[in-house]
Amino acid sequence: MDILITGVLLGATYSLIAMGLTLQYGVARIMNLANGEMLVAGAFGAFWVFTTQKLSPFTSVAFVAPGAFVLNWLIYRFLLRPLVRRAKNRGMLEVDSILATFGMAFAFVGIMLLVFGGEYFTYSYLDEPVAIFGSPFGLNRVVACLVSVALCGLLYLGLNATRTGMALRAVAVDPAAAGLVAIDVPRMSTFAFALGGAVTAVGGIVLSTFLTMDASIGIVFTMKALIIVIMGGVGDVRGAIIASLILGLAETAVASLIDPGLTLAAAYLLFLLVLLFRPEGLFGRRQS
Amino acid sequence: MLECRNLSVSYGHHRALDNIAVHIAPGEIVVILGANGAGKSTLLQAIAGLVPASDGGQILLDGKSIKNLPPHLIVEAGLALVPEGRRIFGDLTVLENLVLGAYAERARPTEKDNLGRALTLFPRLAERRRQIARTMSGGEQQMVAIGRAMMSAPSILMLDEPSLGLSPILCTELFKALAEIRKTGAGILLVEQNARQGLAIADRGYLLENGRIVGEGSAVSLAGDPAVQKAYLGGVAGGTGRAWPLTPTKPSIAT
Repeated sequence: MDILITGVLLGATYSLIAMGLTLQYGVARIMNLANGEMLVAGAFGAFWVFTTQKLSPFTSVAFVAPGAFVLNWLIYRFLLRPLVRRAKNRGMLEVDSILATFGMAFAFVGIMLLVFGGEYFTYSYLDEPVAIFGSPFGLNRVVACLVSVALCGLLYLGLNATRTGMALRAVAVDPAAAGLVAIDVPRMSTFAFALGGAVTAVGGIVLSTFLTMDASIGIVFTMKALIIVIMGGVGDVRGAIIASLILGLAETAVASLIDPGLTLAAAYLLFLLVLLFRPEGLFGRRQS
Repeated sequence: MLECRNLSVSYGHHRALDNIAVHIAPGEIVVILGANGAGKSTLLQAIAGLVPASDGGQILLDGKSIKNLPPHLIVEAGLALVPEGRRIFGDLTVLENLVLGAYAERARPTEKDNLGRALTLFPRLAERRRQIARTMSGGEQQMVAIGRAMMSAPSILMLDEPSLGLSPILCTELFKALAEIRKTGAGILLVEQNARQGLAIADRGYLLENGRIVGEGSAVSLAGDPAVQKAYLGGVAGGTGRAWPLTPTKPSIAT
C-alpha cells in the first residue's frame, strides 16, 4: 500500500515533465535531449527563491515559466528552425534534433555549473509527515503531486477544449494537412516547443521541493521523460500520464523491495521492455 | 476566380509541369484528366503552396497573387484543397476535424452556418460527429475531408482524386455532393481518375499529358472526342456523348 501511494505521488509528478517533452516531441517534432537541463534550471529558480527570498518555492513559477517560455521560443526560432527547414523527412529531423539538443545539453550544463556552482542543492520545504491511510508521507510530495495533477489537468483541458489546443493536436497528427486548414504550422510548432519548455521548467520547481539536485543531473530527468513519452506513445497525453504512473510505481517498488540503488536500472529495464515489445507505445498504433 | 498562367514546377532537373494555363470561374466545375504521372497532383499541390512553383509563372486568386505563399495563407485567401489520400486528422473526432476546417480567420464568422451546411450535405457525419475519424470507412473519411475543406468557406475548392477507392454507389453520392457545393458559388477544380463521372459533372475539362496541357474544352465536347474516349474512357464508341454504359471502367475497391 505504501509503495502504491508513494509510486502514484511520484508518478503524478513525472507526468508533468513528460507533458513538456510530449509537447516538444509530439507537436514540434523535436526530440529535445536538453529537456532535463531546462528542468534543473527551473529547480534552481525555486531553490533561489526559497533560500534567498524566504518565499514558497512555488512563487518562482512567476518568473521561471515565462523565462523558460521565452528561452525555448528563442532556441526553437534560431537554433532548431533551420534544422526543420532543411529536413527532408521526419526521420532526418529526428536525427538532427537529437544531435543538436544533445550538444545543447552539454552547453547548458556548463553554463549552470558556472552560474550556480557544482554543489548539490536542496532545501527543506513542507518537510513534515502527513498521514494517508494510516501511513506517513512527506507533505511536500503530496503537494507536488496535487500541483502536478492540477497543471496536467489544465493542459489536458487546454489541448482538448480550445481552438489553439485543437490546432496543436492537428499539427501533431499531420503537419502538412494542418497547413491545409490554415494553421500556421511553423508558428504553432514554435509555440508548442516554448510551452513544452515552460512546463518542463515548472516540473523542475515541483521536483525540487523533495529531490536533491545538482547542475549536471538533468540527463537523468531527460531519460525519464523519454521513457515515459516512448512508453505512452508519441503525442499521446493520456498515454503519457499512465506511463508516468507506471514508471513511478516501478521505481518505488524496486527501491523499497530490492534496493534504492537500482531505481534507475528499473527505469531502463522498463524502457528496454517497451522498446522490445511495444515500440509504438502502450496505446499507440503502428504507423500505417 | 482562379487563374494560373505559365505555371511550371520542377523537381530537380525533372520538369513536372510546363507552362500550365488553367482558370476556374465561380460556380464552375472543371476537371483535369490525365494518366498517372502526368502532373495532375503536382498542379494542385503547386496551387495550394505544398510544392514550390518555378519563377516566371503566375497563380492568381481573385486577382491577387498566391504563388508560393505558405499553405495557411493560401487557405486564408480562399482556396481549399482536399488532398490525395484525404489526410484527415485521424486521431481527432469528426467534429474536431470539421471545426478545424474553419480555423482560417476568413471562416470564423460563418463557422456555424458552414458546419450546418456540411452536416446537411453529409448526414452521416452528423450521426458520427463524436467518432474518432480514423475508425470510419473510406467513404466517410472522404466526406470528412470534403466537409473540412468546405468549412474554410473557400471560393475555390480543389479535390485530388476524391473517388479513389470508393465503391460506385459512394462515387455517385460524392459527385452529387460536389454538384451541391457548386450551388454555393464556389468554383471546383477536380482531378479525377474516373474520367466518365468527372466529365459527367464538369462544365469544362483540361487534358494533362507529361506536364503539359494538351487539350481543353467543354465537358460535352471532350466526352465526345474519339481521342479522349480512347485514352480515358476505355475506348467505348460513343458519339452523342451520353451513350456509354454507367459502370466505371476501372475496378473500384469498395470500402
